[in-house]
Amino acid sequence: MAKQQKESKNLVKDVSFRIAKATVKAILIYLLYFLLVPMLTPLLEVVPSVAESIEAFIVIYIVLMILGDLTAKTVFEHFFSTARALFFMGYLLLSMGDGIFRTSYESYSLTVNLTLFYTIAATLSLLGLARTILQAINFMHEKAEADSKLQA
Amino acid sequence: MNVPIRMLGIATSIIWVFLIAFIVLAAYSAKDLSVDFGEPEYTVTPNGELDLALPLYVDNRGYYSLKNFYLSTVFTDAEGAEISRSETIVPFIPHGENITILHNISIDPISLLEKDEQYLFNDNDLNVSFTAGLNFAELLPAEISANFTFPWGAPFYNFAVGEPAFEAVDLTHIRASAPMTFENHAMFDLAANIRVELYDSEDSLLSESQTALYVPQYSAYEGDIEFSVSLTASFLSTVESGHFDVYFDMGVAQYGPLVIPYG
Repeated sequence: MAKQQKESKNLVKDVSFRIAKATVKAILIYLLYFLLVPMLTPLLEVVPSVAESIEAFIVIYIVLMILGDLTAKTVFEHFFSTARALFFMGYLLLSMGDGIFRTSYESYSLTVNLTLFYTIAATLSLLGLARTILQAINFMHEKAEADSKLQA
Repeated sequence: MNVPIRMLGIATSIIWVFLIAFIVLAAYSAKDLSVDFGEPEYTVTPNGELDLALPLYVDNRGYYSLKNFYLSTVFTDAEGAEISRSETIVPFIPHGENITILHNISIDPISLLEKDEQYLFNDNDLNVSFTAGLNFAELLPAEISANFTFPWGAPFYNFAVGEPAFEAVDLTHIRASAPMTFENHAMFDLAANIRVELYDSEDSLLSESQTALYVPQYSAYEGDIEFSVSLTASFLSTVESGHFDVYFDMGVAQYGPLVIPYG
C-alpha cells in the first residue's frame, strides 16, 4: 500500500515536472518570438501575410513541443518530435518554394534570393529529423534491452 | 548512442541560433538602409544627346556592407521600342557610410524623332523600367524593380502658323506676314532654325522665309514670319488659299516639310 502510494506520488511529481518543463519552454519560445518580431517589422510591413504565417507556425510548433514534453520517456515523445521535425520541413518547403522570395508593393516588386539560407535551413531540418529518428531507435533499443534484462 | 545524438542536437541548435540571428539582424539592418533620389539634372551634349544625371543617396547605417550595387534604367516608347539603356554599378558600400551615386542616362532625341515626329509636336509618356539590385549582407542577393512613366515634353507643342496678311510694299512687291506660335514643353532650351515656304492655291512657291529662334524650356513662343512676294498677274486670284511648308532644323535633327494649309 505504502509502495503504491509512493509510486502514485512519484507519478504526480513526474507529470507536474513535465507540465512545468513544457510550460517554461513554451513561454521561453514565445518570449523569443515576441522579442524578435519587432526586428522583422521592415519585412512584415512589405509582406503582411508573413506575420500570420509565422504566428501559425509558432503556435503549431509550440503545441507539438508541449505534447512531446508531456509524453516524455514514452515512445509518443519521439512520435511528436518526428512530427515536429516533419512539420518544420514541410513549412520550410511550402513557404520558401524555390528559395526565391518575391513580393510586390504598389508598382514595385522585390526579389530576394534566399537559396543559401534555404539550403542551410533544409540541411539543418533534415539533421533534426535524423536526430529524432535516431532517438526513437535508441529508445526502442534501450527498452528492449531493459525487457531482456528483466526476463533474464 | 545517447552522447552522439545529444552532440548532434547541440551542434544543430548552435547553427540554428547563428542562422536565425543572422537573418534577424539582416532584416533589422534593412530598416537602417535608406535610398533616396535627388533632383535630376538635364544637359544637352554637343552631339545633341540629352544627358540626365540622377543623383542617388545611399545611407547604409545597417550592420552589414552592401556588395555589387547596381542600378539599371531602360526607356522605351509606347510601342515598346528601346530608346535608352543605362547602368550604374558600385562594387562595395561599407556599413555606416553615406554615399552619393550619379546615375547617367543618355537619351538621343534624334533617334526618338526619327521613330515618330509626333515627339516634336505632342507631349508623350515614355515607359521607364527601373531595376536596382545588391548583395545584402554579402550573402543575400536582392533586387527591386519598378515600371513608371517619364513625361516627354514636345519642343514644338501646339505649333501653328496663322492666316497670312498681305501688305503692298511697292508696285512690284507685296509683304506677307503670318503669326507663328508654339510652346517649348521640352526639358531643354530650344535653339532652332525654321524655314517656311509660302505656296499659293496652284502649288506655286511664292516666297520663303527663315527664322532663327531661341526658346527657353517650358516657355511659349509668339512671333511673325515675314515674306516678300513678287506681284504677278494671277497673284490676287491664287493667293487667297494655299499652304505653308515648314522645315525645322535643330542643328542635330531636321524635320520637314510640315504642311499647314491656309485660306
